[in-house]
Amino acid sequence: MGDSQYSFSLTTFSPSGKLVQIEHALQAVGSGQTSLGIKAANGVVVATEKKLPSILVDETSVQKIQLMTPNIGVVYSGMGPDSRVLVRKSRKQAQQYFRLYKEAIPVTQLVRETAAVMQEFTQSGGVRPFGVSLLIAGYDDNGPQLYQVDPSGSYFSWKASAMGKNVSNAKTFLEKRYTEDMELEDAIHTAILTLKEGFEGQISGKNIEIGIISADRKFRVLSSSEIDDYLAEVE
Amino acid sequence: MGRMTDLPTKGGFSFDLCTRNEMLLKNGVQMPPFRKTGTTIVGLVFQDGVVLGADTRATEGPIVADKNCEKIHFMAPNIYCCGAGTAADTEAVTDMVSSQLQLHRYATGRESRVVTALTLLKSHLFSYQGHVSAALVLGGFDVTGPHLHTVYPHGSTDTLPFATMGSGSLAAMSVFESKYREGLTREEGIELVAEAICAGIFNDLGSGSNVDVCVITKGKTEYLRNYQLPNPRTYISSKGYSFVKGQTEVLSTKITPIQPKVEAVEAGDAMEE
Repeated sequence: MGDSQYSFSLTTFSPSGKLVQIEHALQAVGSGQTSLGIKAANGVVVATEKKLPSILVDETSVQKIQLMTPNIGVVYSGMGPDSRVLVRKSRKQAQQYFRLYKEAIPVTQLVRETAAVMQEFTQSGGVRPFGVSLLIAGYDDNGPQLYQVDPSGSYFSWKASAMGKNVSNAKTFLEKRYTEDMELEDAIHTAILTLKEGFEGQISGKNIEIGIISADRKFRVLSSSEIDDYLAEVE
Repeated sequence: MGRMTDLPTKGGFSFDLCTRNEMLLKNGVQMPPFRKTGTTIVGLVFQDGVVLGADTRATEGPIVADKNCEKIHFMAPNIYCCGAGTAADTEAVTDMVSSQLQLHRYATGRESRVVTALTLLKSHLFSYQGHVSAALVLGGFDVTGPHLHTVYPHGSTDTLPFATMGSGSLAAMSVFESKYREGLTREEGIELVAEAICAGIFNDLGSGSNVDVCVITKGKTEYLRNYQLPNPRTYISSKGYSFVKGQTEVLSTKITPIQPKVEAVEAGDAMEE
């Protein structure tokens, strides 16, 4: 394939019209740990596997789901350090938006700005694209929203989506289970079941992470004991 | 790195005009006198936390620009800051530090500390060498307990059990010096703060209108906006005011007919097409 000659330079198109580095970045995402998000009628839930490299790692020190603003949270699949950089930039942008307009940043605006950062890194010299896809969950005046942002900088609004290793099975599962008028509690159960589908080993509150936002507009990450309670309900 | 993004404009104070001012002074042009903006802001530490107080008058020289402005600014859920001096400077600097504290909270996952706010404020003010005219009373309750500080425009700070700033600070301080003691209860603290602010309101021209109070304790902040309204508008006629013709004495009358500058053109059919 003639593409391989163009695969190392980010800023050169291949003859087939692709930027091969971005394809490779999506591969990095595809081999990352599964994460998913579901938009319910009255809130959004995001969840991810938290498989640690060894039992010696202190799992309380790792938090994959992070807050960008009090009412917007994010989960990733792919390279953790890249996601940290993006979260940091997005938090700063949210603050700058507030300083300028004295309004809490709407979810779509923050998604747009994050996507713009990711796009910058596909069109500059000496940098590489981010090796993460983000699922941004938020609740603002337009209600609950769920967006996915890819390494290319493109973003999509989803009712339910998955990313990472088990993406095709997870998406099929979600397609079957999703209903428009789902409540947040049902969505949490569905999210857990979806993660369970492709989970290797025993699922527990210590090796998955769940973040929710409801009509109170406060994004929060559930504690491992809360997750264990939900797991017990789902059994 | 060949970044194609726009570099953010370098913010901050442009000192270009200072050379111009020096040149003007040398040529004999007088600097206009500084506008004293007038305020009474106070804070005190009581047994469970801190109480902050402020008046609500904003002045532009001899004119009251805002009869009920808010001088107690939000810094963090557990930290508030009263501002005296140039209103724009206090607003801008407290907004900026509040934003920085929020980012710091996300990064650390912890509640903000008063000393963090204090250090951010004083380093900013020091770097502007006093040109940012913000004199602040910063108070809050964090994991290390209740704290009260004053910050001066040049960047120095004091840590005190009770403090006053602004043009009404002497009036308010006289109340504190005579009545403050350690271990005040919440009600006593609020009453003392209100009394100090009222001393500023009634004895200083630069302060006036109402009393705002903010009580910060462990885990709870109460912002008592317009806690006291000691200056209600009186003498408002409910019937309204009417000015009948003939009430004002006419001293002289001069009527000047206005000469038409434009000759009226014969009405043509130009517009009828």
